[in-house]
Amino acid sequence: MAIRNGTRAGLIFGFIMVFLILIGVPETINVILQEATTNIDVETGQVINTAAFLFVMGVVAGFAAARKEEPDPLSGAVLSGLIAGLITGATTGLMIIILRSLALSEIDLREYLDKLSPTAIESLALRLSPILAGGAHVLIFALSGATGGLLNWIGRGPWRGPVGQMISNTRDRLARLPIVAQAQNSPITRYVVWAAVIAVVMIVPQFLNDYWSFVLGTVGIYVIMGLGLNIVVGMAGLLDLGNVAFFAVGAYTVGLLTAPEPVGVLWDFWTALIFGIVLAGLAGVILGVPVLRLRGDYLAIVTLGLGEIIRILIRSDLLKDFTGGPRGVRDISGPSLFGLEIGSERTFLYFILVGIFLLIFVTIRLKNSRVGRAWIAMREDETVAQAMGINTLNYKLLAFGMGAAFAGLGGVLFASRNQFTGPEDHTLLVSINVLAVVIVGGMNSIPGVILGAFALKGLPEILRQLDEYRVLVFGGLLVVMMILRPEGLWPSQRTRLQFSDEDEPVPIELSSATSAAPTPIKADVEEQKQAATR
Amino acid sequence: MSIVLETQSVTKRFGGLTAVNSVDLQVPEHTIASVIGPNGAGKTTFFNCITGFYIPEEGDVLFQGASLIGIAPDKIAKLGIARTYQNIRLFNTMTVIENVMVGHHPRMKKGLIGAVLRGPSTVAEERDAYRMAMDLLRFIGLKDKADVMARNLPYGDQRRLEIARALANEPHLLLLDEPAAGMNPQETAAMTEFIRRLRDERGQTILLIEHDMRVVMGISDQVTVLDHGEKISEGPPDKVKRDPRVIEAYLGKPLEEDV
Repeated sequence: MAIRNGTRAGLIFGFIMVFLILIGVPETINVILQEATTNIDVETGQVINTAAFLFVMGVVAGFAAARKEEPDPLSGAVLSGLIAGLITGATTGLMIIILRSLALSEIDLREYLDKLSPTAIESLALRLSPILAGGAHVLIFALSGATGGLLNWIGRGPWRGPVGQMISNTRDRLARLPIVAQAQNSPITRYVVWAAVIAVVMIVPQFLNDYWSFVLGTVGIYVIMGLGLNIVVGMAGLLDLGNVAFFAVGAYTVGLLTAPEPVGVLWDFWTALIFGIVLAGLAGVILGVPVLRLRGDYLAIVTLGLGEIIRILIRSDLLKDFTGGPRGVRDISGPSLFGLEIGSERTFLYFILVGIFLLIFVTIRLKNSRVGRAWIAMREDETVAQAMGINTLNYKLLAFGMGAAFAGLGGVLFASRNQFTGPEDHTLLVSINVLAVVIVGGMNSIPGVILGAFALKGLPEILRQLDEYRVLVFGGLLVVMMILRPEGLWPSQRTRLQFSDEDEPVPIELSSATSAAPTPIKADVEEQKQAATR
Repeated sequence: MSIVLETQSVTKRFGGLTAVNSVDLQVPEHTIASVIGPNGAGKTTFFNCITGFYIPEEGDVLFQGASLIGIAPDKIAKLGIARTYQNIRLFNTMTVIENVMVGHHPRMKKGLIGAVLRGPSTVAEERDAYRMAMDLLRFIGLKDKADVMARNLPYGDQRRLEIARALANEPHLLLLDEPAAGMNPQETAAMTEFIRRLRDERGQTILLIEHDMRVVMGISDQVTVLDHGEKISEGPPDKVKRDPRVIEAYLGKPLEEDV
């Protein structure tokens, strides 16, 4: 087992390492680290940084290799980690021997692979001769792989034994104390926890410069739109690919109402904000009436078209006098509070954060209500939901309108922060990004939406150092993420249960197995008949 | 005894096929009426005509004296008709108690604003709905599984939960579509007893579709037999059981030579 797991992880990570080296990741990290640690001289820094990077990758490889090992004994985990490390090290070692030899014989590889500069190869080889460098790689990876295996074993905790027993005993005893039980059930605890979370989040922007405030602001706007789409897709189960339409309605509402051109009414920002949200919500309901009779894939296609229609309309010559056409709307005003301009990126971030907390509040309230239950029931089985007395069309419109209003708020914030909006801000890509935020984070989960927005809008900024390979790496990470966690980064309780069920099927009485088999066919026929009669 | 449901020569066609042909039926209050018939006799289609999922071409469906023709399914549910399905159709990823609370939907009022503001009246409504659902779960013996996901229940429990979800509607008329389908004899007996309790303890009016004779004959006050969409017999169970046309529909015609 250990040999197979180790070999597999080793080969995968060896491949990943070769790829990362070819696109210049180690050198980029080296440069970033050198900027952070100025007091070490360049050459020592080069070696330390590269070694550290290799070590970390080895730990990850070893950790991954030990993942499928039995919790006991320790040797299995460490052995598989060690093997993974050895194989990864052998792969990169071989590569570095070749690269270093070539570099030493004055062949410039940049002609073929532009990231393989002499300095990059020098640091990768830890400034050693080819053979020594290869050996160093194998050694580092073997050590770090075994460490990774060990860490994995520690993480899974068979060592706990008496210590763990003591911890869980204490926890049980604490839970039995009347005061703790009372606190757990009391709403006050919940308020205190929320207050703490809000306080922490509100302090964070104080430590950010303008650039990171701007990045976090973008993440925040996507959180807002993700929360909206989460109601539509996650709760009500309507696959909506036209979210950008309502984003555009919000953005253009605030743009046209506050900018000097092309309409020039110069309204107050706060009035425009309310108008933007309400108009977007209304647009959702109005566009929803014809569209929401469709189900599933058909709905997705039609909403996709809807988003495109809006974008083409705003850039068309037809509406040029009202929307500014392809040039867009400039000089959109920002919000001011008690006479104070909310001008800097940081203050605007606060503004976005307040919006997020409000929307989270609304989402949680909706989730645990008659409305939320109706939405989830509708997602599960629309026909039955209707037979239970749920007016499915109204509830779909409500979900669509809510999602549109959230997206409208996102649009208002986006346009007002950039002080500009144009047709290019409202492409199909926005809809797809928001949908990806919801899916990557985990359907129907609020923390999931937040994590998803970070992963999709924050991660590319962090990867900016990789310049032209940024999108490539980002795409790769997305694929890996969805393979490792298909249910999302932070799935809702519901989804989590659903996915765990599939791993270990629940024992069902025999009678159900025999009778359940033919029924889906019947249901299909019934559905078709219904469709025919409509 | 007042009549809860009355169908007057209800006819439903799919293209050239007449699935239900001119069926008359009356369900008096606090009784169990059954519709039986071989597979494909049009029983489920008949149910769908009552619940508004199909609109019959001819005839009328009267519920407490008012016509249901052309009324949307959700409105019909609100009027007080609740149903179960032959193939169980629970909301699988919702918990047991949530399923029951969805059934109570038409009896609750709070919408979007109420949910967001969660004022005292919303809190009270939610609490009452929760209590009602708990009472129902106690009645069907699933009180301890309130927070289990519906799909994880054993088959028999799922059947009963589906009935509880329908009962949460507080319906004047409960439609049960083959509640004993796929059950072994012991489970069938338990289910039969459970349906009897619904009538005797809660005064529930029930219209039952079934092709298992053991269920129907034991508890029905009145039986209607459908074959090829037509009513071929009607009356108390004992009489229907001996009707040669019913025996023919179920077992086939005796061959001339054998007679």
